[in-house]
Amino acid sequence: MSRAVPEALPAFLATSAPAEVAGTDVDESVTTDHPWLVIVWNDPINLMSYVTFVFQKLFGYSREKAHKLMMDVHTKGRAVVSNGPRERAELDVARLHQHGLWATMEQSG
Amino acid sequence: MRRRIRPSWRGPGCQLHLPPEERQLLESLPSQLAEVLGSLDLSDGEVPGNLRRLFPRAYVSDEEAERSFAESTRAELAASHRRALETLAGTAQETVLGEEEMAGWLTALNDLRLVLGSALGVQEDQGWTPSPAVEHEFVIYQYLSLLQSELIDAMERTLPPPLPGADDAVPEDPWGEPLGGLRWDGTPLPQSPFGDQP
Repeated sequence: MSRAVPEALPAFLATSAPAEVAGTDVDESVTTDHPWLVIVWNDPINLMSYVTFVFQKLFGYSREKAHKLMMDVHTKGRAVVSNGPRERAELDVARLHQHGLWATMEQSG
Repeated sequence: MRRRIRPSWRGPGCQLHLPPEERQLLESLPSQLAEVLGSLDLSDGEVPGNLRRLFPRAYVSDEEAERSFAESTRAELAASHRRALETLAGTAQETVLGEEEMAGWLTALNDLRLVLGSALGVQEDQGWTPSPAVEHEFVIYQYLSLLQSELIDAMERTLPPPLPGADDAVPEDPWGEPLGGLRWDGTPLPQSPFGDQP
Protein backbone atom coordinates (compact mmCIF):
# COMPACT_ATOMS: atom_id res chain seq x y z
CA MET A 1 0.00 0.00 0.00
CA SER A 2 1.66 3.18 -1.10
CA ARG A 3 -1.03 5.60 -0.13
CA ALA A 4 -0.38 7.85 2.86
CA VAL A 5 -2.64 7.31 5.82
CA PRO A 6 -3.80 9.89 8.38
CA GLU A 7 -2.03 9.89 11.73
CA ALA A 8 -5.00 9.62 13.99
CA LEU A 9 -8.43 8.13 14.23
CA PRO A 10 -11.05 10.83 13.99
CA ALA A 11 -13.31 11.34 16.93
CA PHE A 12 -15.95 8.83 15.92
CA LEU A 13 -14.75 6.26 18.42
CA ALA A 14 -17.63 7.01 20.71
CA THR A 15 -20.44 7.56 18.23
CA SER A 16 -23.33 5.23 18.55
CA ALA A 17 -23.71 1.92 16.79
CA PRO A 18 -27.04 0.17 16.24
CA ALA A 19 -28.34 -1.19 19.53
CA GLU A 20 -28.04 -4.89 20.07
CA VAL A 21 -31.34 -6.67 20.16
CA ALA A 22 -31.33 -9.65 22.47
CA GLY A 23 -33.20 -12.76 21.44
CA THR A 24 -36.44 -13.52 23.23
CA ASP A 25 -36.75 -17.29 23.06
CA VAL A 26 -36.15 -18.64 26.54
CA ASP A 27 -36.32 -22.38 26.94
CA GLU A 28 -37.98 -23.13 30.29
CA SER A 29 -37.35 -26.85 30.14
CA VAL A 30 -33.56 -26.81 30.56
CA THR A 31 -32.09 -28.76 33.42
CA THR A 32 -28.70 -28.52 35.05
CA ASP A 33 -27.68 -31.90 33.62
CA HIS A 34 -27.24 -30.77 30.05
CA PRO A 35 -23.86 -29.44 29.02
CA TRP A 36 -23.44 -25.85 27.90
CA LEU A 37 -22.60 -25.05 24.30
CA VAL A 38 -20.19 -22.28 23.41
CA ILE A 39 -21.29 -20.66 20.16
CA VAL A 40 -19.34 -18.33 17.90
CA TRP A 41 -21.41 -16.07 15.62
CA ASN A 42 -20.56 -14.72 12.22
CA ASP A 43 -19.46 -11.11 12.03
CA PRO A 44 -18.27 -9.03 9.08
CA ILE A 45 -15.00 -7.83 10.62
CA ASN A 46 -12.95 -10.74 11.95
CA LEU A 47 -10.70 -12.23 9.28
CA MET A 48 -11.33 -15.86 8.35
CA SER A 49 -7.66 -16.70 8.92
CA TYR A 50 -7.82 -15.03 12.33
CA VAL A 51 -10.88 -17.00 13.45
CA THR A 52 -9.20 -20.26 12.35
CA PHE A 53 -6.02 -19.28 14.20
CA VAL A 54 -7.90 -18.49 17.42
CA PHE A 55 -9.76 -21.82 17.35
CA GLN A 56 -6.45 -23.66 16.98
CA LYS A 57 -4.77 -21.62 19.70
CA LEU A 58 -7.54 -21.73 22.32
CA PHE A 59 -8.90 -25.23 21.83
CA GLY A 60 -5.98 -27.19 20.39
CA TYR A 61 -7.94 -28.17 17.27
CA SER A 62 -6.19 -29.35 14.15
CA ARG A 63 -5.99 -26.85 11.33
CA GLU A 64 -8.60 -28.85 9.39
CA LYS A 65 -11.07 -28.88 12.28
CA ALA A 66 -10.53 -25.20 13.05
CA HIS A 67 -11.04 -24.35 9.38
CA LYS A 68 -14.26 -26.37 9.24
CA LEU A 69 -15.65 -24.64 12.33
CA MET A 70 -14.70 -21.25 10.88
CA MET A 71 -16.50 -22.11 7.62
CA ASP A 72 -19.58 -23.16 9.62
CA VAL A 73 -19.53 -19.77 11.33
CA HIS A 74 -19.08 -18.04 8.00
CA THR A 75 -21.67 -19.91 5.95
CA LYS A 76 -24.25 -20.98 8.55
CA GLY A 77 -23.96 -17.94 10.80
CA ARG A 78 -22.87 -19.82 13.91
CA ALA A 79 -21.02 -22.88 15.14
CA VAL A 80 -20.61 -24.72 18.42
CA VAL A 81 -16.89 -24.52 19.20
CA SER A 82 -16.76 -26.16 22.62
CA ASN A 83 -19.01 -27.62 25.28
CA GLY A 84 -18.92 -28.61 28.92
CA PRO A 85 -20.04 -27.58 32.40
CA ARG A 86 -21.21 -24.02 32.87
CA GLU A 87 -17.99 -22.77 34.49
CA ARG A 88 -15.89 -24.19 31.67
CA ALA A 89 -18.19 -22.64 29.06
CA GLU A 90 -17.98 -19.23 30.77
CA LEU A 91 -14.20 -19.47 30.75
CA ASP A 92 -14.16 -20.33 27.04
CA VAL A 93 -16.54 -17.46 26.25
CA ALA A 94 -14.34 -15.07 28.23
CA ARG A 95 -11.23 -16.24 26.35
CA LEU A 96 -13.01 -15.86 23.00
CA HIS A 97 -14.12 -12.35 23.99
CA GLN A 98 -10.52 -11.47 24.86
CA HIS A 99 -9.69 -12.44 21.28
CA GLY A 100 -12.51 -10.29 19.90
CA LEU A 101 -14.76 -13.13 18.77
CA TRP A 102 -18.50 -12.89 19.07
CA ALA A 103 -19.19 -15.78 21.46
CA THR A 104 -22.25 -16.68 23.52
CA MET A 105 -23.27 -19.75 25.51
CA GLU A 106 -26.48 -21.69 25.94
CA GLN A 107 -27.53 -24.91 27.60
CA SER A 108 -28.15 -27.84 25.29
CA GLY A 109 -31.10 -30.17 25.52
CA MET B 1 5.28 -8.00 -3.11
CA ARG B 2 7.51 -7.59 -0.09
CA ARG B 3 5.92 -8.38 3.22
CA ARG B 4 5.99 -5.96 6.10
CA ILE B 5 6.01 -8.76 8.66
CA ARG B 6 8.33 -11.71 8.05
CA PRO B 7 9.11 -14.73 10.19
CA SER B 8 12.55 -14.55 11.78
CA TRP B 9 15.14 -16.96 10.46
CA ARG B 10 16.03 -17.83 14.02
CA GLY B 11 13.48 -18.48 16.72
CA PRO B 12 9.72 -18.01 16.73
CA GLY B 13 9.69 -14.20 16.40
CA CYS B 14 9.30 -11.97 13.37
CA GLN B 15 10.95 -9.04 11.63
CA LEU B 16 9.14 -5.76 11.01
CA HIS B 17 9.78 -3.91 7.77
CA LEU B 18 7.67 -0.81 8.21
CA PRO B 19 8.14 2.76 6.99
CA PRO B 20 8.26 5.47 9.69
CA GLU B 21 4.79 6.87 8.94
CA GLU B 22 3.22 3.44 9.46
CA ARG B 23 5.10 2.97 12.72
CA GLN B 24 3.80 6.32 13.87
CA LEU B 25 0.25 5.22 13.08
CA LEU B 26 0.79 1.92 14.93
CA GLU B 27 1.93 3.90 17.94
CA SER B 28 -0.81 6.51 18.01
CA LEU B 29 -3.91 4.45 17.17
CA PRO B 30 -3.56 1.85 19.95
CA SER B 31 -2.51 4.54 22.46
CA GLN B 32 -5.72 6.42 21.77
CA LEU B 33 -7.91 3.35 22.06
CA ALA B 34 -6.13 2.21 25.24
CA GLU B 35 -6.73 5.65 26.72
CA VAL B 36 -10.43 5.54 25.83
CA LEU B 37 -10.71 2.06 27.37
CA GLY B 38 -8.92 3.27 30.49
CA SER B 39 -11.45 6.06 30.95
CA LEU B 40 -14.46 3.74 30.60
CA ASP B 41 -16.79 3.33 33.53
CA LEU B 42 -17.55 -0.38 33.35
CA SER B 43 -19.65 -0.50 36.49
CA ASP B 44 -22.98 0.56 34.99
CA GLY B 45 -23.01 -2.14 32.32
CA GLU B 46 -23.40 0.16 29.31
CA VAL B 47 -20.43 0.40 26.98
CA PRO B 48 -20.62 3.35 24.58
CA GLY B 49 -21.17 3.03 20.86
CA ASN B 50 -18.54 1.37 18.79
CA LEU B 51 -16.61 0.06 21.78
CA ARG B 52 -19.47 -2.33 22.43
CA ARG B 53 -17.96 -4.77 19.96
CA LEU B 54 -15.06 -5.29 22.39
CA PHE B 55 -17.49 -6.32 25.14
CA PRO B 56 -19.92 -8.86 23.65
CA ARG B 57 -22.69 -10.54 25.61
CA ALA B 58 -22.20 -14.10 26.84
CA TYR B 59 -25.90 -14.84 27.40
CA VAL B 60 -28.29 -13.91 24.61
CA SER B 61 -31.51 -13.79 26.63
CA ASP B 62 -30.78 -14.37 30.33
CA GLU B 63 -30.32 -10.83 31.65
CA GLU B 64 -29.42 -11.85 35.18
CA ALA B 65 -26.77 -14.35 34.09
CA GLU B 66 -25.43 -11.77 31.64
CA ARG B 67 -25.16 -9.12 34.35
CA SER B 68 -23.30 -11.48 36.62
CA PHE B 69 -20.97 -12.63 33.80
CA ALA B 70 -20.23 -9.04 32.82
CA GLU B 71 -19.53 -8.06 36.44
CA SER B 72 -17.03 -10.85 36.89
CA THR B 73 -15.25 -10.54 33.51
CA ARG B 74 -15.43 -6.97 32.21
CA ALA B 75 -12.58 -5.46 34.22
CA GLU B 76 -10.19 -8.21 33.13
CA LEU B 77 -11.49 -8.04 29.55
CA ALA B 78 -10.83 -4.29 29.41
CA ALA B 79 -7.41 -4.82 30.99
CA SER B 80 -6.48 -7.52 28.46
CA HIS B 81 -7.49 -5.29 25.54
CA ARG B 82 -5.40 -2.47 27.04
CA ARG B 83 -2.37 -4.69 27.62
CA ALA B 84 -2.42 -5.76 23.97
CA LEU B 85 -2.87 -2.19 22.71
CA GLU B 86 -0.04 -0.96 24.94
CA THR B 87 2.22 -3.75 23.65
CA LEU B 88 1.55 -2.64 20.07
CA ALA B 89 2.10 1.06 20.87
CA GLY B 90 5.21 0.28 22.90
CA THR B 91 6.89 -1.88 20.26
CA ALA B 92 5.81 -0.10 17.08
CA GLN B 93 9.36 1.19 16.57
CA GLU B 94 11.06 -2.20 17.00
CA THR B 95 12.57 -4.15 14.13
CA VAL B 96 12.12 -7.58 15.73
CA LEU B 97 9.23 -8.96 17.78
CA GLY B 98 9.24 -11.91 20.18
CA GLU B 99 6.45 -14.44 20.44
CA GLU B 100 4.59 -12.68 23.26
CA GLU B 101 4.79 -9.33 21.53
CA MET B 102 3.37 -10.88 18.37
CA ALA B 103 0.42 -12.19 20.36
CA GLY B 104 -0.16 -8.66 21.70
CA TRP B 105 0.04 -7.21 18.19
CA LEU B 106 -2.45 -9.76 16.90
CA THR B 107 -5.07 -8.91 19.52
CA ALA B 108 -4.42 -5.17 19.31
CA LEU B 109 -4.70 -5.06 15.51
CA ASN B 110 -7.95 -7.00 15.81
CA ASP B 111 -9.31 -4.65 18.50
CA LEU B 112 -8.53 -1.63 16.33
CA ARG B 113 -10.24 -3.26 13.35
CA LEU B 114 -13.30 -4.13 15.46
CA VAL B 115 -13.73 -0.56 16.66
CA LEU B 116 -12.93 1.04 13.31
CA GLY B 117 -15.00 -1.51 11.39
CA SER B 118 -17.98 -0.91 13.71
CA ALA B 119 -17.66 2.83 13.23
CA LEU B 120 -17.50 2.40 9.45
CA GLY B 121 -20.40 -0.05 9.46
CA VAL B 122 -18.33 -2.57 7.49
CA GLN B 123 -20.46 -5.20 5.76
CA GLU B 124 -19.46 -8.61 4.55
CA ASP B 125 -20.98 -8.57 1.09
CA GLN B 126 -18.48 -7.81 -1.61
CA GLY B 127 -20.46 -4.98 -3.14
CA TRP B 128 -20.18 -2.90 0.04
CA THR B 129 -18.19 0.31 -0.15
CA PRO B 130 -17.75 2.98 2.50
CA SER B 131 -19.17 6.45 1.98
CA PRO B 132 -16.62 8.88 0.49
CA ALA B 133 -16.64 10.86 3.74
CA VAL B 134 -14.85 8.02 5.58
CA GLU B 135 -12.57 6.89 2.79
CA HIS B 136 -9.41 7.67 4.78
CA GLU B 137 -10.61 5.67 7.77
CA PHE B 138 -11.44 2.79 5.45
CA VAL B 139 -7.89 2.88 4.08
CA ILE B 140 -6.59 2.57 7.66
CA TYR B 141 -9.00 -0.31 8.24
CA GLN B 142 -7.73 -2.13 5.15
CA TYR B 143 -4.14 -1.43 6.11
CA LEU B 144 -4.70 -2.96 9.56
CA SER B 145 -6.35 -5.97 7.89
CA LEU B 146 -3.34 -6.47 5.63
CA LEU B 147 -0.95 -6.22 8.55
CA GLN B 148 -2.99 -8.64 10.65
CA SER B 149 -3.06 -11.10 7.77
CA GLU B 150 0.71 -11.02 7.42
CA LEU B 151 1.12 -11.40 11.17
CA ILE B 152 -1.12 -14.48 11.22
CA ASP B 153 0.99 -16.05 8.45
CA ALA B 154 4.12 -15.36 10.49
CA MET B 155 2.51 -16.79 13.65
CA GLU B 156 1.19 -20.07 12.28
CA ARG B 157 4.37 -21.90 13.20
CA THR B 158 4.12 -20.65 16.79
CA LEU B 159 0.97 -22.73 17.32
CA PRO B 160 1.50 -25.81 19.47
CA PRO B 161 0.63 -29.16 17.87
CA PRO B 162 -3.08 -30.10 18.01
CA LEU B 163 -4.25 -31.64 21.30
CA PRO B 164 -4.97 -35.35 20.96
CA GLY B 165 -8.71 -35.96 20.91
CA ALA B 166 -9.63 -32.25 20.84
CA ASP B 167 -11.20 -32.46 17.37
CA ASP B 168 -13.65 -35.12 18.49
CA ALA B 169 -14.73 -33.29 21.66
CA VAL B 170 -16.90 -30.76 19.79
CA PRO B 171 -20.54 -31.79 19.40
CA GLU B 172 -21.89 -31.98 15.89
CA ASP B 173 -23.75 -28.90 14.73
CA PRO B 174 -27.04 -29.25 16.66
CA TRP B 175 -28.95 -27.12 14.15
CA GLY B 176 -27.67 -28.51 10.88
CA GLU B 177 -29.29 -25.74 8.93
CA PRO B 178 -28.26 -22.17 8.27
CA LEU B 179 -29.73 -19.57 10.57
CA GLY B 180 -32.49 -18.53 8.26
CA GLY B 181 -30.82 -15.35 7.21
CA LEU B 182 -30.37 -13.68 10.60
CA ARG B 183 -27.64 -13.30 13.18
CA TRP B 184 -28.51 -13.57 16.85
CA ASP B 185 -28.85 -9.80 17.09
CA GLY B 186 -31.35 -9.69 14.25
CA THR B 187 -29.03 -8.29 11.57
CA PRO B 188 -29.08 -10.10 8.22
CA LEU B 189 -26.61 -12.88 7.51
CA PRO B 190 -24.90 -12.32 4.16
CA GLN B 191 -24.71 -15.00 1.55
CA SER B 192 -21.29 -16.61 1.46
CA PRO B 193 -19.27 -15.02 -1.33
CA PHE B 194 -17.55 -18.39 -1.78
CA GLY B 195 -20.63 -20.47 -2.58
CA ASP B 196 -19.91 -24.07 -1.65
CA GLN B 197 -16.16 -23.69 -2.02
CA PRO B 198 -14.08 -23.52 1.17
